[in-house]
Amino acid sequence: MIEAIAHGLAALLTPHALLFMTLGVLYGLVIGILPGLGGVVAMALLLPFTYGFPTEATLALLLGAHIATIWGDSVTSILFSVPGSAKGLALCFDGYPMTQQGQAKRALAASATGALMGGIIGAVFLALCIPLIRPVILALGPSEYLMMALWGLTVIATFSEGSLMKGLIASLLGVLVAFIGTDVVTATPRFTFGFEFLMDGISFPVAMIGLFAVSEMMKLAIRGTPIVDRSVVPETSTVWQGVRDAVSHWWLVMRSSLLGLWIGVLPGVGASVAGLAAYAQAAQTSRTPERFGKGAVEGVIAPDATMGANEGGGLMPTLAFGIPGGESMALLLVAFVSLGVVPGPDMLTKNLPLVFSMVWIIVLANIMVTLIGLGITPWLARLPALQANLMVPTVLSVCVVGAYAVRGRIEDVVVAVVFGVLGYLMDKYRYSRANFVIGMVLAVMIERNLHISLTLYGNDFLIDRPIALAMLVFVVVTGALPFVRNRRRRKTLKAAAA
Amino acid sequence: MSRITQENLIAVLLLALFAGVIVLTLEFGPRARLIPLPLAVFGIVLTLVQLAWQNLRSTDDLQMDLIRVEEPVAAVDAGKPRDPHKTTFARELAATGLVVLLLGLVYVVGLVPAVFLFTAGYLVLSHQYRLVKGLVYAAAFTVVMHLLFIMALQVTPYHGLLQPFVDSLG
Repeated sequence: MIEAIAHGLAALLTPHALLFMTLGVLYGLVIGILPGLGGVVAMALLLPFTYGFPTEATLALLLGAHIATIWGDSVTSILFSVPGSAKGLALCFDGYPMTQQGQAKRALAASATGALMGGIIGAVFLALCIPLIRPVILALGPSEYLMMALWGLTVIATFSEGSLMKGLIASLLGVLVAFIGTDVVTATPRFTFGFEFLMDGISFPVAMIGLFAVSEMMKLAIRGTPIVDRSVVPETSTVWQGVRDAVSHWWLVMRSSLLGLWIGVLPGVGASVAGLAAYAQAAQTSRTPERFGKGAVEGVIAPDATMGANEGGGLMPTLAFGIPGGESMALLLVAFVSLGVVPGPDMLTKNLPLVFSMVWIIVLANIMVTLIGLGITPWLARLPALQANLMVPTVLSVCVVGAYAVRGRIEDVVVAVVFGVLGYLMDKYRYSRANFVIGMVLAVMIERNLHISLTLYGNDFLIDRPIALAMLVFVVVTGALPFVRNRRRRKTLKAAAA
Repeated sequence: MSRITQENLIAVLLLALFAGVIVLTLEFGPRARLIPLPLAVFGIVLTLVQLAWQNLRSTDDLQMDLIRVEEPVAAVDAGKPRDPHKTTFARELAATGLVVLLLGLVYVVGLVPAVFLFTAGYLVLSHQYRLVKGLVYAAAFTVVMHLLFIMALQVTPYHGLLQPFVDSLG
C-alpha cells in the first residue's frame, strides 16, 4: 500500500500533471464564483479537452477544477449571499452576516482553511477506508437514505427563530415546489399547468439565484447603500484570524469532515445535503446555538470542511462499484471510459496507484485552492463595499445570464425573477428562505426513497431495517435537542431574573 | 396598510395556495399524491395556527420590516414628513419593476444586448456615472460577460425578438 501511495504521488509530480492541475484550479475558481454554475458544469465543459492526455494529468485537470468550485461557490455566498451553486447555500447563513459585520476576510479565510482541512481529512480517511467501505455501502438501502434526508430536515428548527410556524410553512412550500414537474416514480406531471418547460421541474440553481441573489439585489436597490458601508462598518478582521478560527475549531472540522466523507460515500445524496447537514450538526452541537445565523464562524467552517471531505467520499462508490456518488462523479465515470479505466473491485487491487493519485489530487488541489484563496481574500473582501448603484445592475445581469446558462432556457430567467420577488417577500415577512431551500433539496430524496422503501419492504419497512430504525431514533433525538436546550436556557434565564 | 393586515394577507394567500394544491393533487394517482396531499393539508393547519397566533399576539410582537428606509432628507426639510410605509412600498415597487424591466429587455432584445442596455441605463440614470463613463463601463462589462458565457462556456445565446435579424445574418 505504501508503494501505491508513493507511485500515486510520483505520477502527479510531472510538469504536465501539475500544469493541468493549476489550470483546472484557476478555471474552477472562476466557474464556482459564477451564480448557478458549479462543479458539474466545470467538469462537463472540460470533458472534450481530456482526450489524448496522460490519465493522471487528465484527472488532475478534472478533479482540480471540481475541487476549486467548492471554495468558488463559498466566496459569493459569503460576500453577497449569492450561492454559486446548491453546495454554497449553507455558507449564506453565517458567512453573509459576517461580511455585514466587517468580518469578510475572516469568513473567507476560515472557509478556505476549513475546506482545506476537510479535504485533507477526507482524503486520508478515503485512503484508510478503501478496504473497509464495500460492506458498509452494501448494508445501506433506500430506507437509510430516507432517514438521512429526514435528518437534514431537523435543521429547520435552527432557522425558524421568531416563528417556528413560519419556518415550517416555508419548508412545506419548498417541498411542494420541488414536486413541480414529472413525478419520477409514477411519471405523473404534477403542478405543470400544461407548461412544457415545467415538466423537468424547477431548476434548483435557478431557484436559488432568484431566492437569494435577485432578492438581495432588490433589497440593495431599495436601500440604496452598499452591502457594507465602510464608513459605518469598517473591515476589522484579518485573513490570519480566519485561518486560526479553522485550526482552533479542529474538532468541529474533524466531525464535519467525517460527516462529509460519509455523505459522499452514499450514492446520490450530494454535496448540497452535506453542507446543510454539516450546518445542522454544528448548530445542534454548539453550546451557543443562538449565535448561528447571525455571523458565527463555526457556521462557515463546518459546511466548507464537509464539502471538502465530501469529494473524497464521493470517489469511493465511484471507484469501487462504478456507482457515482453524485453528478460530478458521474462525469468522472465518463472520463474514465475515455481513459480506458474500468471502475470496480480491480480499482482497489490492481489499479491502487491510480486511486492514490486521485487521493493526492484532492490533497494538492485543496492546498492550491487555499493558497490562492488566502492570497486573493483581501481583494475579494473589498467587493461588498462597492456602491449599490454599481452592484445592482452588475449582479442582476450576471444572475439573469447565469439562470439562462444553467439549462439554456429563457423560461429559467422568468423563474429566477419570480423566485426573486418571492424571496424578497419571504425575507420581509420572515418566512425563512433557508427552510424553503432545505425543503426543496430534501423533498425529492425523501419521496423517492420512501416509495422505494415501501415497494421493497412494505409498510413496515422500519421494522425490517433496524439500521433505519436506529437512524430514525437519532433523527428524533437530534431534532428535539434544540428545543430541549431552548427550554433549559429559558428556565435558567427565568431563574436568574427571579 | 398595517403590518398585521399585511401578515394576514400573506397568510390568506398561503391558505389559498395550499387549498389549490389539495384540489390539484386529487387529480393525481394515489402514489403521486402520497406526499403532496398530506403536506398541503398540514400546510393549511400550520397557516391557520399562524393566522390565529399573529392575531392574538400584540402587534409589537410581530417583527418589523427587515428594510427600514430612512426618511428622505428633503421631506424632513420641507416640514412634510412622509409616511415611511408609503416610501418603502414605492421603493419596493420600483425594485420589482427593475427586475421585470430586465426580464422584458431580455425577451425583447436578447440576453447580451439586454445586459448592456440595463447596465448602462442603470448606471447613467442613477447618476452613478456620467453618460460616457457609464456607456464605457457597460460595454466593457458586456464584453466580459460575452467572453465568459458565450465564448468560454459556449452557452447558446438567446436573441429575443432580434432572432429573425440574427438568422438573416447567419
